[in-house]
Amino acid sequence: MYRSSEFDGSAAAFMGGGFMPSQTTQLPDSSSSSLLSSRNREARCLLALTVKQICELPSNDESNFVIDGVEVTNVTIVGRVCQKEDKASEYTFLVDDGTGQIECTRWVQERIDTDEAEGILVGKYVRVHGHLRGLQGRRFINVFSIRPITDFNEITSHFIECIYVHFYNKRIRLPGATTQSQLANSTMNTPLKGYQTAPLNQSSAYSSADGLNNVGQMILNFLQQPIYLTNEDGVHRNVVAQQLNIPMDKLMDELQSLVDNGFVYSTIDDDHFKSTVNA
Amino acid sequence: MDTSKPAIFVNGGLLPMHVQKRVRIVIQVLGSDRGAVIGKSTDDHQLTVKGTPPSVPLTNFVEVIGIADSEKSIQAEIWTNFGDTFDTYSYNQLCQLANGEYQLLFL
Repeated sequence: MYRSSEFDGSAAAFMGGGFMPSQTTQLPDSSSSSLLSSRNREARCLLALTVKQICELPSNDESNFVIDGVEVTNVTIVGRVCQKEDKASEYTFLVDDGTGQIECTRWVQERIDTDEAEGILVGKYVRVHGHLRGLQGRRFINVFSIRPITDFNEITSHFIECIYVHFYNKRIRLPGATTQSQLANSTMNTPLKGYQTAPLNQSSAYSSADGLNNVGQMILNFLQQPIYLTNEDGVHRNVVAQQLNIPMDKLMDELQSLVDNGFVYSTIDDDHFKSTVNA
Repeated sequence: MDTSKPAIFVNGGLLPMHVQKRVRIVIQVLGSDRGAVIGKSTDDHQLTVKGTPPSVPLTNFVEVIGIADSEKSIQAEIWTNFGDTFDTYSYNQLCQLANGEYQLLFL
């Protein structure tokens, strides 16, 4: 069974660098805005998203965006610059990542910021980090950092990261929200029902209506006595035959049937048997 | 904010699914032939890219964004040099995911 805590460790190790929302991050309720902002400070994370995801985000008040159950504040995108506008204290870039276009605004005050923005040319691929904003149904990014891509594997890496973030938030972070049907090819699937270690009706009140006859039931009851349940080595078939006064061949038939149905298993050798019920 | 011109990640095998639509593909340049560039996709299909390449020389790997006009050719609008080395395996995997299970993130 794949433990989500193990996954968290490896997730932080190779991806996100602490930017992913933790297992314990819950979506804040719609309580007072001051409570919301104080929780924001701890729950804030950086999400890699496609422009299509950003544009499709529903929002009630244009400042709180939620995707896959996670609050969206800072985002990172990778795309081509299609347009560049240069005003006195701000640069506006229209970035197209293949799924859509979004306006990214970089406010500049110091020379170093201006140099960074001047270096971005139309037609270049860029990596943008910024804060997501909404106005009149449109989405904008207030850019903290915009820099040209030098290794184009970063494009592949970013989109795979978008897929990963989506998958992580939908499937791993909130395990109670998973649905069986969508996880067919996921190795991280933990079936909701779990593995059944023993049939549920395993008890001394076992009903013969389930397919085993009285002899089988008798053997099962015998093996389920506490003294035999606690013994790791099980019980020798001779003991069972003698105690229950059953012919050996009949006993072996019944035992085989019980083994096939998962009620009994052989232990140290083929002659010792034990019930699968936990002691 | 405009999502009207999306381009979907494709490789050679997925190109036939998107004929007459806008696609993006990374190819390894094999040569040019009568004004078109012949390239190999990340899943080893040979494809033809029509249109005028940029004035700068093409590197080994090039990304082309344009309209797929047949199952094996693209009318290019934008060419981007991706350098001489590129991880084709990962890009190929991305194409499969972007066209399959996670298509809703892209298109």
